[in-house]
Amino acid sequence: MSEEVKSPNYWKSLGELAKNEEYQKFVEREFPENATELNDEVSRRSFLRVMGASIALAGFAACRRPVQKIMPYSDMPEEVTPGKPLYYASAMPFQDALTGIVVENHEGRPGKIEGNDMHPASKGNTSAFGQAEILNMYDPDRSRYVRNDGERSSVSAFAKFCANHFSNTDQNIAFVSEANSSLTYNRLKEQALNQFPNARWITYEAFGEDNALEGTNIAFGQRLRTVNHFDTANVIVSFDDDFLNPAGDKNSVQNTKEFTSGRQVSSPEDGMSRFYAIESTFSITGSNADNRLRIKSGNIGSFIYALAAELSGSVNGLSAFSGYNNEFSDHEWIPVLAEELLENEGESILTVGSEHQPELHATIAAINTALGNAGETVTYHEVDHIDDQNNREAFATLVEDLNNGEIDTVVLTGTNPAFTAPADLNFSDALSNATEVIHLSDYYDETSKQASWHINRAHFLEAWSDGRSYTGSRSIVQPQIEPLYSGVSEIEFLSTILNGEPAEGYDLVQETWQSYFSSNFKNQWEQTLHDGIADEEETYPTVSASLSDEFSSQASSFINDTASAEGMELVIRPDSKVFDGRFANNGWLQELPEPMTKITWDNVALMSKKTADELGVEEAGLGKSEVEIVSITVDGTTVELPAWVQPGHADDSITITVGYGREGIGRVANKTGVDTYPLRTTSNMLYASDISVEKTGSTYEIACTQDHNSMEGRSLLRHATLQEYREDPHFSTYESSYDAEMPGLSYAEEHGEEDPLSIFNPIDEQEYPDGEPQWGMSIDLNACTGCGVCTIACQAENNIPVVGKREVSRGREMHWIRNDRYYEGDVNNPKALHQPVPCMHCEMAPCEQVCPVAATTHSEDGMNQMTYNRCIGTRYCANNCPYKVRRFNFFNYSKEFLTSGDDPEIVQMAMNPEVSVRFRGVMEKCSYCVQRVNRAKIQTDIDTNGATMKPEDGSVETACQQACPADAIYFGDLTDPDSEVVKTKNNNRNYLLLEELNTRPRTSYLSELSNPNPKLA
Amino acid sequence: MSTDYQYVPEPKLVKGDHSFRSITDMIVKTPLSSTPNLWYLAFGLANILLITLLGAIGYLIWDGTGIWGLNNPAGWGWAIINFVWWVGIGHAGTLISAILFLFRQGWRTAINRFAEAMTIFAVMCAGIFPAIHVGRIWVIYWVFPIPNQMAAWPNFSSPLLWDVFAVSTYFTVSLLFWYVGLIPDFATLRDKAKSKVAKISYGIAALGWTGSFRNWWNYEKAYMILAGLATPLVLSVHTIVSFDFAVSVIPGWHSTIFPPYFVAGAIYSGFAMVLTLMLIARKIYGLEDIMNIDIMEKMNLVMMVTGNLVAFAYLMEGFVAWYSGYIYEQGIFWLYVVGPYAWGFWILMFCNVVTPQFLWFKNIRRNVAITFVISIIVNIGMWFERFMIAVASLSTDFMPSAWDYYSPTFWDIIIYIGTFGLFFTFFLLFLRFLPMVAIAEVKGVMPQADPHNYDEESQKFVESKTEPVVVQQEQTV
Repeated sequence: MSEEVKSPNYWKSLGELAKNEEYQKFVEREFPENATELNDEVSRRSFLRVMGASIALAGFAACRRPVQKIMPYSDMPEEVTPGKPLYYASAMPFQDALTGIVVENHEGRPGKIEGNDMHPASKGNTSAFGQAEILNMYDPDRSRYVRNDGERSSVSAFAKFCANHFSNTDQNIAFVSEANSSLTYNRLKEQALNQFPNARWITYEAFGEDNALEGTNIAFGQRLRTVNHFDTANVIVSFDDDFLNPAGDKNSVQNTKEFTSGRQVSSPEDGMSRFYAIESTFSITGSNADNRLRIKSGNIGSFIYALAAELSGSVNGLSAFSGYNNEFSDHEWIPVLAEELLENEGESILTVGSEHQPELHATIAAINTALGNAGETVTYHEVDHIDDQNNREAFATLVEDLNNGEIDTVVLTGTNPAFTAPADLNFSDALSNATEVIHLSDYYDETSKQASWHINRAHFLEAWSDGRSYTGSRSIVQPQIEPLYSGVSEIEFLSTILNGEPAEGYDLVQETWQSYFSSNFKNQWEQTLHDGIADEEETYPTVSASLSDEFSSQASSFINDTASAEGMELVIRPDSKVFDGRFANNGWLQELPEPMTKITWDNVALMSKKTADELGVEEAGLGKSEVEIVSITVDGTTVELPAWVQPGHADDSITITVGYGREGIGRVANKTGVDTYPLRTTSNMLYASDISVEKTGSTYEIACTQDHNSMEGRSLLRHATLQEYREDPHFSTYESSYDAEMPGLSYAEEHGEEDPLSIFNPIDEQEYPDGEPQWGMSIDLNACTGCGVCTIACQAENNIPVVGKREVSRGREMHWIRNDRYYEGDVNNPKALHQPVPCMHCEMAPCEQVCPVAATTHSEDGMNQMTYNRCIGTRYCANNCPYKVRRFNFFNYSKEFLTSGDDPEIVQMAMNPEVSVRFRGVMEKCSYCVQRVNRAKIQTDIDTNGATMKPEDGSVETACQQACPADAIYFGDLTDPDSEVVKTKNNNRNYLLLEELNTRPRTSYLSELSNPNPKLA
Repeated sequence: MSTDYQYVPEPKLVKGDHSFRSITDMIVKTPLSSTPNLWYLAFGLANILLITLLGAIGYLIWDGTGIWGLNNPAGWGWAIINFVWWVGIGHAGTLISAILFLFRQGWRTAINRFAEAMTIFAVMCAGIFPAIHVGRIWVIYWVFPIPNQMAAWPNFSSPLLWDVFAVSTYFTVSLLFWYVGLIPDFATLRDKAKSKVAKISYGIAALGWTGSFRNWWNYEKAYMILAGLATPLVLSVHTIVSFDFAVSVIPGWHSTIFPPYFVAGAIYSGFAMVLTLMLIARKIYGLEDIMNIDIMEKMNLVMMVTGNLVAFAYLMEGFVAWYSGYIYEQGIFWLYVVGPYAWGFWILMFCNVVTPQFLWFKNIRRNVAITFVISIIVNIGMWFERFMIAVASLSTDFMPSAWDYYSPTFWDIIIYIGTFGLFFTFFLLFLRFLPMVAIAEVKGVMPQADPHNYDEESQKFVESKTEPVVVQQEQTV
């Protein structure tokens, strides 16, 4: 508005009264030059403006869209077609294992992470963490600037400081780093250790490979990486190893892929591996076991030794165990397992959870070697970046030295030991003894707050880097976007410290790879960037390991040291969603139902029904979300957290997970859950025995997405043993499941119905359109491990908002594909079954018939569509959906999710521009990723000059299908007889969910199989 | 062939020694005298509740239906329960005025005006809920078949759409019927009124009624036609409301028994509500001679019959669940009985199955205090019936994994309570300004109206002048 206008001014005062930004912008935009007109008495235009102001005063400003600037491409980059995403290969580091990814880029902003087909650790799939990383990048709570003693500073100031501070190369420097496989990073690490002779390097991870490496050191005298090849094994025995869970194993994607491919059954003739799980916590890995034994974590060692003793008579190399006896020697499982393992020499895998003592890893390595598995199903690799020291011991020594004032400078890259370090080390106190503490991290976290310099870290999608997969394939990590908050990557950070000047990640990485690509650098570099991997076949050097001579003597001593696990036991594990706390500020992961408990937004104390009864703790259930809080005391430290009954948990054992209860991290992490790290000490990194647990009497509300755990005798998730399947390949039919004919079937046949499935409406063209293509999906329950990556992938693809704990606890989670988990059998030792449930896209959809405004209709290609713009929100469709897959926007969730904080544009950037963001009051549900389908159809139309709209099989993948490492989801054209989806639908295990309702779902299931040992039945 | 005739005297419908004049005076007294303080108090309370309702609706529209306790399996909660409950209550009026009129039930005249007024206000309360329960109320006009630039029509196969038509038709016809019945009484009020404003207002409403033969002739015809139109609506409205549930696939909803069962339940609750209101009003306004114990007993009989129909329907649901062999139907019935909402089921059983059995006893039927209590229990029971149907069935249907418990929030409750504010605001206005008994009609059932047995001289009903009511006793050849 022009300042020339003099007061008293009629119009201006009204405008001021309106005090409405929209109104002012509106005036500015529409009448920019007409200052003089404002002085007119009443002109038509100014009259309109008064009207506008009154409307604004009446509070209707919201009816007008806010004015926002849009920026055209004034300088069109090459290859960018607005509206058409570009895909760039990169890799996602998690600890020191890279997973190949392909990032979907919309006009220069990464939107969705997908797996890289060519990468061995991905094979086109990702884990839930991988899917959620995109939201981590767009996290507005990430640290945005360099801080010097808490004050805002800059990278150049930091560089200046480094040039000065690190000119003294004799000082005692401790580098504390997270595990990192980056070649450049490790090159700089070597350089640092050379440059500073008094420096030490400690790789610190709260949950890592340290004990496994120490174990191979005991067994083979060498720190070797153990790689299990689950697809090659007939028998898999897991001791407390959650290898299918990304939190339990950094190579979980590859593990899942191999594990399920060893169990794929397409006809009764096929075999499948047999998987035994012996564990305390009911993990998702254990839920996929054919035979599962629940014992305390503290007894795992005794059990392994008893098994080794049993085997020692039959195989060479286990003599140290012969004659050994303990309380498990007479366990019914021991001879059965031994027999099974001996029958499958060289074709079995034994594996133990990474946090178990090194001695157990050593024993497992010895058994694997003795059984001839080593080199076949289990390989050992020399990993060059793995330190020669025991990092856990080195870290403890560091704390000691810090306390003695022997360390001048501590440089921490990426880790957060002030939060995650064992409580008895008091790392925070120790750190205050150092002169300078330099910390590179994503958040201004617990460690950063103690640091003299905090450097904000660039996300891996923002910076150049490189690294190697778990098995050793090299990749380059290429940035997808300029760092949002001008962050610094870990290699740039190290280089700045070493050289005293800011560095470019690109140059550093190229320098590393110059030596790798000896000739034709440019081409090879570009090819690697393009493929996302340098050499698919490459692995870390395989070592044909043989048991060291000392192993026997060591074993004979450590087997006699095993303490029996008495009293109540506490097991501490990384969390399936926030891991060690690093994903705590990720709303997608916080809201992902934990795969076994289905709890969101909290950590709990898991215990068996029996233990709960003993403690007087009641089970939550339908209509009861308030649970008792228990206080857990270990060595004088007490933590209070809600108790949760986990059927199948070992008795007298309580599992807790870490990573919650943060302060000052971000809006998602803060005050979510309880910090349980105070209970984790160097002596009980995995479990503590003889703890005390008490009911406090107070209660706490838990947001659990599944209140009822029994299938109530309904054949929703059909399953059988492999044996039963062979006897009756058609066990999945309605008749077999209920031992009764489908209702109405014989009536229909008597009356000559064409399609006996329907009693009322014979099939007609409206129900099954004759156009091509016709889309359908099938979900192989035998493959599904229940990990929940499909839920996150769908959330990332389809702009599904995070609704928060309160809304989830009110049953309003928005996930389009949910993962149902049912328990079956004995309440203390049940079988757990997983079933992903997206929209079924019924031919005769009950939802379509009841919508009063026809907002949900059928498409020509057979999809049940939801027209958000037409929806008035009666929720009748959701009520009438037998599968309960429809989700309603009770509040303006998207707005809340996308406009919170100071600069909401950042989270908005994570949204997929091809999918509408839904408004309050409308229904939404799985769309079969219609945006992907239509993109493929249009592309086919263009490619074939309009001849067909039928994309080639496999060219359309839904987000859930694409992410699934178990390959449990098939999607494709039902009119193409050769398509994968038709093949699976022709499988005799195929069945329809609630088929007796005659909804004719397009999504079908392949029933689950298990292969239990009859001797343990 | 010979026939014996015996005179069976019917009890008088209007008690006491009343002439036409005293009846008129008794009824017009209230609209034409000054407002009692008690009325102001009641109206003030009703207004507070009404304002609360409007405020709560405002907040609901501002913030979204999330303020209610709805969740993912239970997409419908108190709003729909209240809608069905109020529509059900709204059934009594039209049944009394239309169906009982066609069946020439003279006793209806004591309560028909009253019941019709209640119907209209109850339907108004009901009508609020389908409107405010949608997610986007600002586009709710899309449910009407209005030609539009989007060329989009509503989905005529949706029961919700049928609902829109059924309820709006019902409301329109009920209102018309009520108004037509009021015309002669408006004229009476016009003629009796002293104040200018009242004269003019009632005069306009009376549409120039002169009481001529032609007026009466047209009036009777119109009344008859409207009664004929309204009669099927009595049955259709709740039938269609029941279709909202019965047409779906949800166990506990998908049931062919619903239409008759809903209609019976509606009449049941409607009569209970009329009784509740009537028993208070007759006391306060001194209408005990018109709304007398005989009338109350007849209404109790209707309640007993419909109540037992409803009870039978519940038992049939259980039987059908068992007999069908349909596991989901069995599941939901079992969950009603012992599941998370079992408390609701047993309240319902007590209110709607046990309570009507008391009405077998004549002493109870004729006891004002007990009837009053029963009428309230019945309406609580009918609310719980809808609660069980809407909420319990939805929250525990096919997929146990999706089951979730529904509990209302403050806003669910306050909006329900608020609708009583709306109801009583209108009802108190009705009591204050309109004749609460159909003056012309009630006179029609008095002995004076009978040209055959009214003795002008003694101003009495004289038996000897009677044309006897014929009872065919026995035929002897």
